[in-house]
Amino acid sequence: MTDVIKDIILVVAAIIVAPIIGGILNGLDRKISARMQNRYGPPILQPFYDVLKLFGKERIAVNQTQMVYVLGYLFFAVASLGMLVLKQDLLMIMFVLAFSNISLVMGAMSVRSPYSKIGAQREIIQMMAYEPVLLLMVVGVFMSTNSFMIKSVFDLDKPLLYSLPLIFIAFIYVLTIKLRKSPFDFSTSHHGHQELIKGLTTEFSGPQLAIIEMTHWYDLVLLLGLITLFFAKPIWVGILIALVCYFLEMVIDNISARVTWKWMLKYTWIIGIGLALTNIIWLYLKNRA
Amino acid sequence: MGNNEILALVAVAILLPALSAALCYLIRSTPTRKFIVLFTALVMFVVAGILTQQLIKSPNGKLTPTMNLDFVGWIIKFLDMVLMIYIIYTGVRLRKALIVTLASIQLIALVIFEVFGTVEEPKTSFVIDYLSLVMILLVSIIGPIISIFAMGYMKEHEHHLGLQKSRQPRFFMIIFVFLAAMNALVMTNNLSWMFFFWEVTTLCSFLLISHDGNTESVKNASRALWMNLVGGVAFVFAMIIIYNTTHTLAIDEIVGKGLVGLLPIALLCFAGFTKSAQFPFQSWLLGAMVAPTPVSALLHSSTMVKAGVYLIVRLVPAYAGTVLGTVVAVVGGFTFMAASAVAISQSNGKRVLAYSTIANLGLIICCAGIGNYVSLAAAVLLMIFHAVSKGLLFLCVGTIEQGIGSRDIEDMQGLMKRMPFTTVITVIGMISMLLPPFGVLITKWLTIESSTSLPLVMMFIILGSAFTVVFWSKWLGIILTMSYKPKHKIEHLTASVKGALSALFVGVLAASILIVPLFNNLIKPYLQSLGNVEDLPIGGSKGGIWITVGNAVFGGFASLLFFGIIFILMITIPIFLKRTKAESIKPPYLCGENINNDVRGLEFYSPAEKVEKVVVRNYYLGGIFGEKNLTPWLNFISGAIILIMFGAVIK
Amino acid sequence: MGIIDKARKKSPWIIHYDCTSCNGCDIETLACLTPLYDVERFGIINVGNPKHADVLVVTGSVNKRNVRVLKNLYNQMPDPKAVVAVGACACTGGIFSDCYNVYGGVNKVLPVDVYVPGCCPRPEAIIDGIVQAMDKLEGKARNMKHAASGKQPEAALQASTGNNNDGANT
Repeated sequence: MTDVIKDIILVVAAIIVAPIIGGILNGLDRKISARMQNRYGPPILQPFYDVLKLFGKERIAVNQTQMVYVLGYLFFAVASLGMLVLKQDLLMIMFVLAFSNISLVMGAMSVRSPYSKIGAQREIIQMMAYEPVLLLMVVGVFMSTNSFMIKSVFDLDKPLLYSLPLIFIAFIYVLTIKLRKSPFDFSTSHHGHQELIKGLTTEFSGPQLAIIEMTHWYDLVLLLGLITLFFAKPIWVGILIALVCYFLEMVIDNISARVTWKWMLKYTWIIGIGLALTNIIWLYLKNRA
Repeated sequence: MGNNEILALVAVAILLPALSAALCYLIRSTPTRKFIVLFTALVMFVVAGILTQQLIKSPNGKLTPTMNLDFVGWIIKFLDMVLMIYIIYTGVRLRKALIVTLASIQLIALVIFEVFGTVEEPKTSFVIDYLSLVMILLVSIIGPIISIFAMGYMKEHEHHLGLQKSRQPRFFMIIFVFLAAMNALVMTNNLSWMFFFWEVTTLCSFLLISHDGNTESVKNASRALWMNLVGGVAFVFAMIIIYNTTHTLAIDEIVGKGLVGLLPIALLCFAGFTKSAQFPFQSWLLGAMVAPTPVSALLHSSTMVKAGVYLIVRLVPAYAGTVLGTVVAVVGGFTFMAASAVAISQSNGKRVLAYSTIANLGLIICCAGIGNYVSLAAAVLLMIFHAVSKGLLFLCVGTIEQGIGSRDIEDMQGLMKRMPFTTVITVIGMISMLLPPFGVLITKWLTIESSTSLPLVMMFIILGSAFTVVFWSKWLGIILTMSYKPKHKIEHLTASVKGALSALFVGVLAASILIVPLFNNLIKPYLQSLGNVEDLPIGGSKGGIWITVGNAVFGGFASLLFFGIIFILMITIPIFLKRTKAESIKPPYLCGENINNDVRGLEFYSPAEKVEKVVVRNYYLGGIFGEKNLTPWLNFISGAIILIMFGAVIK
Repeated sequence: MGIIDKARKKSPWIIHYDCTSCNGCDIETLACLTPLYDVERFGIINVGNPKHADVLVVTGSVNKRNVRVLKNLYNQMPDPKAVVAVGACACTGGIFSDCYNVYGGVNKVLPVDVYVPGCCPRPEAIIDGIVQAMDKLEGKARNMKHAASGKQPEAALQASTGNNNDGANT
């Protein structure tokens, strides 16, 4: 029984702490990006100001159902984070994460707005590009630990990074897509950028947009948490690696121009899947030997 | 219950639909037909229920009613000949040399083998184990529900066609003959009887595809016929080889002891591929979509095409772990990926469903080929979930087609406004095909977790899953598109359509929510019967399915917990929504060129004040996934894989 | 002052609409985004989407062609919202005020909160104008709370589209 209570406390703590971490990381992102562009940049707490302001805006909508999808997006992102904290099945976490994303896509497609619809289509194409790599990563983790449960990653003596270097690179590659950073920010864009007006999120406003922003923070923490898995022991090294990767994403965001979705699809499949599969094949042969 | 009672039950399960078929054809009054359909449905439910109960009570997980009726064997032999002659006659009438040739080969082989040869029939004609039971439940529950749907649907259908004289008696006769044949096919233990029922379902499929009688449907029906006959030829030769090497036609003996070489098993698997429309035989199932929707739902997604995968899953012990198993997994996995990819480029709703059906059948075959306990559990679970969900979706598309006069996905925008009832059911049906915690996704997850021993197959499944997400979510998005509206319209559907949709809808939810008891009562005993093991690596407990190695949990998912959370959310979100209800409704952003007072955003001002419609179509990625570009290559590759299969097993 | 009100002042998102500007004011408005002026210091973001925006920045005078778009954009913004007229043309119609097709300044069709004069105004002036508009939003937010209580979406819908006739009130 104490285990259950411990689990519940853990999940509740994660639900409360994750958006704070995510928001601060987001603020750091904007500040560091600004410094890279030789600007002063907004305060670090700017993302919180934005979200609070959005909660105070008038609640406007295009149809009655939008809010349902937004809440779905939030709840399933939270659910996948909860599953990560409880060290559950990694493959299922990916599926639940996809559920959350599809919920947002459905919300964007549910309105008769060309911008949001095209954004949603592009998001679907993005999902088609990165989903195989994420699943292959899960399989790679399985081949190294012989289990799909995250728990086993922590029982491993050698960090995952040693056996999955190529999958790690592929994961960083798709992380850019997942975070919708340049060069892959064509379904929607962040902060000052505009693409398809605002793509996916064009027709969401006020509190809806605030929830979407918050969900991005949960997503961010979840993805960085997945990076941490590659170096789970000692965990502070993993966290450090995750932060370095996030910094890398900022650099990539600032030095690259937006590409077309065809380019993305082609190269994600060739590079992302290619790298991941190479890694998996060598693990397969090693396991058999 | 004794032997005779169970035998009687089997007889009722097979002969009652056959009798109803005759009555439907002979008594041509609509009220009588309605009564017959409802009565048969009721009896079939009851029989399936009693069989389930008996099987769970039985000590060895098998019901083997024996009978000493030699003349039944002779009747079936006789009917076999009649069937073949009828198919040859059909081929001559259609002037299709291919059909005549294939049917003649079968006829000649059968005559030599069964009439002139001395074939010893197996003593136990029927064996009902858990795998059969799953199929019996699918056939006896979904079948009657779809027949009930067909009562309302066919009336409307014939009204659209403007027929003078109703052809419904013929339609229902074939449907019931099919149900009888299907029940018999999954219960029988005699390979030659199975072949007879196999060919009966082929003929039923042909007759139902060509039911409307126009040029296109006849063309597609004859293609379906010859492709299935190719499988039939393989079946006959497999049967002959098996009998010559082992001197038995009892399926349990053939499967159990590994007496036969791999070649006849490969031939049977090949027959299964044609029946289940695997690449390169997918075109018959796509063509079959011209048939009235109940036919697509019943034959071409939930039951008849499952006969192919049933046979392949049935044969698993005979080839598990061999090279044949690997190739079967590759064939299934490749079809799963290929069909899902091509489905992205389709805008015709029924064709998307057809491709998705092919893909899921491929996945089942792939699971069978992988052949470990986890993947076999996934295979049987997927048979159940897919049959229920896809049957429902076909009925939904049929209803939508009659409601809006189109089956094009793009025409389904704003469906919520016109057909709210059907839309909600369709959306749940689609979600059940793609999202957690519904069963289909659980099986996909099981498949990936069990396929790690075959990286190529795993790659196919992973890519296929990604494609699956694309085409379903595109379609879902279109259906869910709606503008603000204060009031919902109430649509008018006939009682039979509404009842059937609701029944299957409940079935979809129930199957996924009750996944743990479903697993423990049906799948677990099936898996145990395969290897007599007590300790399965997969189990249903703690509100979900868990895979274990030794004592350690290897992977798992508490889907029931997930359902619980969703249920709580479904109750709390509306309360929450009241608080977050929109204060004002704004039109969608159209660069400020919205037409005055048009909150729906249907039109905009283009230059020179011209009013234009807002049209946003989905991406179909025709350049990458176009059916015309891709199909020849996919057929070529899958043909090569099948050749490899035969090359590898011929000694 | 609640936390949301504090946040509101620190996060003005703008949408910039060019009515009939000669592009002088537009260039100065966009100059605010450059590293030299860097409006993001104040949390100002040019979102380009009325549904996300708090402040409508208008340059140029209003004429018969663009009045419809201007009003639509304004109507699609969620409350509380403010309008900043940037440049002489947006304030009064400027040198175009006597043209046959020009109605005049933005105040002819929308309630303008802040006028930023100049031809063209300096970026500092524009930033100052937007920051001033944020102060005005506070009062608007208070009014919004009073007005919105008890109003149904349908009624609001009528209100938002009812006065949407092409430049009829000039």
